[in-house]
Amino acid sequence: MSAIGDFLVRRTLGFEARLRAWGNVARFTGAAVSGVFSRDTYNSATREVIARQIYFTAWQILGGYTAFAAVLSLVVTHILANAARDVGLYDYALEFTFRLLVLEIVPLLTALFVALRTGAAISTEVSIMRIRNEMGALEQAGIDPMKLELIPRVIGGTVSVLCLTVIGVTVSVLCAHFVITGYRPWNAPSADLQLMIGKVFDPAAMAALWSKAFLFGLAVTVIPIAEAIHAPRQVHFAPIAVLHGMVRLFLVIMLIEVGMLVIRYIA
Amino acid sequence: MILGTAKAPLQFVADATERQAFLASHEEAVLVSASLPMRANLTMIENIALVLQFQQSLGFDEAVARVLPMLERLGRHESAMSRDTDLDHEDRFVAKFLRAALMDAPIILVDRPALQLPDIRYPPFLDALLSSLADEFETCWIVDYAWNAPLYDRPHSGTSA
Repeated sequence: MSAIGDFLVRRTLGFEARLRAWGNVARFTGAAVSGVFSRDTYNSATREVIARQIYFTAWQILGGYTAFAAVLSLVVTHILANAARDVGLYDYALEFTFRLLVLEIVPLLTALFVALRTGAAISTEVSIMRIRNEMGALEQAGIDPMKLELIPRVIGGTVSVLCLTVIGVTVSVLCAHFVITGYRPWNAPSADLQLMIGKVFDPAAMAALWSKAFLFGLAVTVIPIAEAIHAPRQVHFAPIAVLHGMVRLFLVIMLIEVGMLVIRYIA
Repeated sequence: MILGTAKAPLQFVADATERQAFLASHEEAVLVSASLPMRANLTMIENIALVLQFQQSLGFDEAVARVLPMLERLGRHESAMSRDTDLDHEDRFVAKFLRAALMDAPIILVDRPALQLPDIRYPPFLDALLSSLADEFETCWIVDYAWNAPLYDRPHSGTSA
């Protein structure tokens, strides 16, 4: 009986810890979003941190990301086009590709790409800052670490995800058109592409796409930071904070994706 | 010599409890302490300039224009573009002290200088630093353990006993 009791106590404590962690994420998100709209947040130092965050998150990987988006788009479009041809639906191949690749796969992979690269880095850096008491030192110097170090990272990360999504979407639209036209886009009437873009990217689809990209951008910065700033200030907790942050981030990205699919296609 | 004057009084404490009580009784003071490090991913001058960027809303160039002459006066300008890991203890101490001085606080507390300047005979260093920057702060207390008091008797001797 005592073993069952211990098990139940452990499960309850674990559940409470998880609830607390989600509460921390929600509170930090609220504070960060309100900070974004506060004029006090912005000065020459915070603008510099925002610029650096965009540089490291988006600009530094732009070439590799664009190449990745192009290769992925060519391969996926090719598979979809062949499948559509096999079942006699080749006329719909471009629409299928836009709906699956451009509206769903590319934004999702962009978020995962940034999460793996930047989310983990942000989580590690904030954990180390906290362990070394750099945040305490900033406060002592009259500098709010939330304004200098955390909110600018949220802004820079979100802007970066939105920018990369724009690039990924554009590249995948062009690549899809390239493949569907039999690698001879100059032979296809440009009105066909325009018509399909107008049909697939209607206002509702655009609203869903950019809402999703915005939520992805917020998630890839807010969740790792929230996890890091609430971790105990001991070195051996740093990897645990990064691990928890990344798992939570993956879960949230998937929830956003599934939620948006449900709203768009089922609800 | 500025150490031990009203501008830079010395406070010797018997133990950690007494030290913490002294620090607690000066909550309005700005602390220069080993437990308050600089931002690791910023250069020395960026760390110092931050105070001016936040408190006086100066642009980075304006802030640097104010900080750089201070570093030059102290002979530390060559380290200005180095990050924390590339600085020696003296550079680090200077950066932390300048950050405190730029806050225009009425009192600066230098906590356990022996811990922050472990590789040098620090009273002469502190004396030279505080003398050079005397116009940049009002009062700077040096809080040190009583067993280090003899080091301050001959701050400029520069020889080991």
